[in-house]
Parts: sequence; structure tokens; C-alpha cells
Amino acid sequence: MTAKSTVDPKLLEILVCPVTKQALRYDEDAQELISEAAGLAYPIRDGIPIMLADEARPLEGDQKSD
Amino acid sequence: MPTSESENSAIIFDRNAVRRHQARAAASFAEHDFLFREVAERLADRLQDIKRSFDVGISLGARGDHLRESLMGNDAISVLHEMGSNTGSPGIAFIGDEEALPVKPNSADLIVSNLALHWTNDVPGTLIQCRQALKPDGLFMAAILGGETLTELRQVLMEVEAEISGGVSPRISPFAELSDAASLLQRAGFNLPVADSDTITVTYSNVFALMHDLRGMGETNAVVTRPKYFSKRQIFLRAAERYSELFAGSDGKIPASFQVLYLTGWAPDASQQKPLRPGTASTRLADALETEEHSAGETADPENSN
Repeated sequence: MTAKSTVDPKLLEILVCPVTKQALRYDEDAQELISEAAGLAYPIRDGIPIMLADEARPLEGDQKSD
Repeated sequence: MPTSESENSAIIFDRNAVRRHQARAAASFAEHDFLFREVAERLADRLQDIKRSFDVGISLGARGDHLRESLMGNDAISVLHEMGSNTGSPGIAFIGDEEALPVKPNSADLIVSNLALHWTNDVPGTLIQCRQALKPDGLFMAAILGGETLTELRQVLMEVEAEISGGVSPRISPFAELSDAASLLQRAGFNLPVADSDTITVTYSNVFALMHDLRGMGETNAVVTRPKYFSKRQIFLRAAERYSELFAGSDGKIPASFQVLYLTGWAPDASQQKPLRPGTASTRLADALETEEHSAGETADPENSN
């Protein structure tokens, strides 16, 4: 477990899922930004959200194609 | 939502190659960043001419510190979130792709970009996403490389490759022309679109120094159909020779031109200037010009004419 870096709350306010343009849920423990609509979790590395679909983790369970 | 409709736009650039080139260049970018530094200054000057302050600014394709340093100098911007393509660049707030912009619609007062958007395949789609990310009356200002960039190198490589291998391959990326730029902005829904250009000429001792610098900037060819093997050595040796023959100055050094296009547009807002309906003018043109009005002969309403 590495020490968590915090993400600027002002930045979180303006970020959306690049695929769906829908709001994201910030999972502080997992350091991920979750897009329920796209079924993707975008990683946050060293406090920097990686907002690329290629780098995101597909959510398990209810898979959505679009 | 009418966002990235990339299916109908051609894939010209290999976006992964762009990202790879920039990531590879990140570590020693500061040694090759003169063009970015220069253009950052010019963008900052232009922004200063616009007497406005901006709460939330976003910088797209940020690399290095220059734009932040140049822009934050005039404290017109409260917050600047910088989006980069790799985590190797200093000051990056988030990683994103301009073609799939992860920015909430209606959330930014300013979007700036210093020499990044010329690598997008879907320029209209990218501009539309920028316009949507802006609040009404928000400003979009981007510097991109234009079609006259590296015109000397283009000419030399084409000539030499045709001479040696009997064919020509795309070795230098194609870029937008100034004549297209304003209409691109307009079609993306920006108001008061303006496009203009500057040419920055840099001199090098030879072609190899130029190529070294381009690689250092992370600006080497990323065209999908680029040759994926190393080019024949003789092509570059011959190119170096021809470049000097055609373009070298009296000191033996060779020039390389970079054409920079500046694109400016505003997200529509009711407060912006717009043309009045015909016939609603409250001042005579003749009065404004301090001249006497002469009838041109026919008038639409002869009863009221003088």
C-alpha cells in the first residue's frame, strides 16, 4: 500500500468520463474514478487521474457495452 | 449528445505514437523546448490583450512549464488545470486525450493549448468538445502547427526520396492550413472566430541537428502510414546535401520554418456582439464618416428618401 496522494477537489468537479461525458464517482480507497455509465474505473496515479479509456479497468458484474 | 463522431473522420495520426514520442521526449524536453517557450509567450501576450479574467482555465496537451509560467504571470486566471498526454511532464493535473475530452460540459472559462492540437485526427470533433466544455462566453485559444511548417524539409525529402527510391512516403505530418482554420472554429460553433499565423524560422548547422531537435520535442512523424522501418541512410545523406544546396545561408547554416496558427473563438453568449437586423441602425453611416450622404438613385422606399 502506497501513501495516498490527494486529488484537487476543484479538478474532480470538472472531470467527466471521456467516453460518456457522465459524472464520475471518486473511490478514495481504490484511487479510482468510476464511470458507472461506461462500466470503467479510471486509475489515479500519484494524484494524477488517467482519463484514458485504454488505461481504465472494466468494472465487473453488470457489463454495459455503451 | 453530439460529441466525438470520429467514425467519419479519417485516421491520419497514430495517437499512440504521438503519446509515445512525447513521453520519450519528456525527460530532456527542456533542451528542445524553444518553440514551445516562444509560442507560450505569444499566447500569453494575446491573452493579456483580452481584458478579461478567467476563473477556471484548462490547458490541453500541456508539456513543460512554459504556458503555466507565461499565463500565470498576469494573474488573469485563477486556476489552471493542465491536461497532458503522459505523467512525465511537470505540473500535469490529469492525463487525457483531446479527441475524447474528459471535461464536464459548461465548466471552463478558458481553454488554451500550446502546440498540441495539430496531432488530432478529428479536429472538428475536438473543437466541438472544447466549445461544449466552455461556459457561455468562455474563450478558446490554441496555437497549432500549420501546413507551411518544415516546408524546406518536406520539399527536400520528397525530391530525394523520389530520386533514390522512385517513390514518396509521408515523412512529415500534414497540418491544417490557415485558410481552413477560421471556418473550422465557426463550424464547431464558436462565435467571433479569428485565425492568424506567425512563421518562426530556426537555423541549424545541418539536417541531422534539425532531426535531433524534432525528436527532442517529441514532434517526429506520427502519420499512420509512415515508413515503419529506418529510412535508408543514403536518403538522409543526400537530403542533407540538397537541403544545404537549396536553402543554406552564407554561413552554411540551414533554416527550418515553423508556421504557427493561432485559433481564437468564444463560446456563444447573448452578450456578444452580433450584426443588427438590416434597417435597424440608429446612426447614419454618413454621420460616422463625417460626410454628406448621396442617394445612389434607387431606394426601397421613395416616399421617405431625401
